[in-house]
Amino acid sequence: MNELQAKGFWYSEWAFALFVACLSSGIFAGTHLYYVYHVGAFNDIAIVAMLEAGIKGGGYGAAAAFGASFLFARILEGPLVGILDIGGSLQTGIGIGVPALMLGAGFTAPLISFPLALTTGAVLGLAIGAVIILIRKFTINSVNSTFGADVMMGAGNAAGRYLGPLIVISAIMASIPVGIGATAGAAIFYYFNKPIAGGAIIGAMVLGAIFPIPTQ
Amino acid sequence: MVTIIIVLKSIVIGALVGFGVGAGAARMFHAPNVQGMGAFRTFGELNACAGDPISHFSFGLGFLFNSWASVVGAGALTQDVDHRVIPNWAAAILLWKNKNVEETLHNPKRMAFAGALVGVVVVTLLNSTATAIPQSMQLVATKVLVPAANWLINPIMPIVFWMAALDAGKRTGIWGTVLGGMSHLVMGNAVPGIVLGILIGKGLDDSGWNRITKTMVVAVALLFVLSGFFRAFDVALLKSLQVEIPQWLVELHETFGSAVKK
Repeated sequence: MNELQAKGFWYSEWAFALFVACLSSGIFAGTHLYYVYHVGAFNDIAIVAMLEAGIKGGGYGAAAAFGASFLFARILEGPLVGILDIGGSLQTGIGIGVPALMLGAGFTAPLISFPLALTTGAVLGLAIGAVIILIRKFTINSVNSTFGADVMMGAGNAAGRYLGPLIVISAIMASIPVGIGATAGAAIFYYFNKPIAGGAIIGAMVLGAIFPIPTQ
Repeated sequence: MVTIIIVLKSIVIGALVGFGVGAGAARMFHAPNVQGMGAFRTFGELNACAGDPISHFSFGLGFLFNSWASVVGAGALTQDVDHRVIPNWAAAILLWKNKNVEETLHNPKRMAFAGALVGVVVVTLLNSTATAIPQSMQLVATKVLVPAANWLINPIMPIVFWMAALDAGKRTGIWGTVLGGMSHLVMGNAVPGIVLGILIGKGLDDSGWNRITKTMVVAVALLFVLSGFFRAFDVALLKSLQVEIPQWLVELHETFGSAVKK
């Protein structure tokens, strides 16, 4: 079955480069939306905040180094384990790191123009896809190691579980009603076998809409 | 007017992103013979829903609320749109008509088109409603979600990855500890360093010092040197050791556009 499936365009190596190009084109354009309209960046608040620090004049070093190092690590890891992590490579690397490098160098055009943003993302994605396919050609058949993919997979899953309790604690520190809402929401979601982070957020939002958090 | 432009651009972006994510996710099921893309947690979660369309849909919905709160608060869609919402909803749409995962979830062509459809709807919805959310809700997002997300990135994630590295064997533990500490110094977060430590440690465990592991160590060293330089860690280090910063170093930084503070 697998050998039969592994043929044709949709399973081919060069189609992979095309898929990466599509995705990174969209992600880079998402950062364009964020840069121009302050909405639509494909990343988590904490990571986007690093780019925002640069836009506000605090220097792009943090975002550039963080993004570039993730991009590098994931490109190395992707072909070895067979799964390219789009969070680290494309969303953080292409979406945050590369824009930070460009903005840090005063090169704003790719982030201001939408067509240019799409093109830039596509070209970068195509390059990344090609590099990964090349690394695959030279390594995948010659090495018998997963390079600890299972260890990282386990840690990644474990870290995600912490988010729910963290949101509840953060809500309790924000205000009493919001804290009660988050706690109840988390408990209800847990009872129905849903991720408790989602319940905590909904609970905090409902109570926060009725009893707004006081601003200093 | 601005909203219309955002909607039009979001449709293009959503289609591109959804197409790539859908195809990449389906290809993950054929790894390592076929190069996939997504994430290990996405792969695990797609498997956990076991081809049940309602599970896939509600899992995606839970994270849609997450993303919605985040885009309202900070304009950030979260990584979950690509990792969870699009792949799970694309799977839910396909599985609604055909329960056979081989022909649906594992098929890159079908997942690519379903993903593009979901991407258009989700990205446009999230980006266009963000401006229409009341102030009190935005406050919850920034006062509750931002601190929680910051704690997760630092120190929770470094600790979890660090423990995983320590538990995976002596060599991985040492490489993870050294590179993790250096990465927190140079890059501001230990996770990339620990991941590289696990990569090198496990690589050495499995195959010893060969061309690939040697290349990796050299590349990692280069990565640290370059990130250190671009974050001006070299200057900060010299300053904290009370050493005079040489003029050539100041000039070198200036050629790359970063002014050295005295």
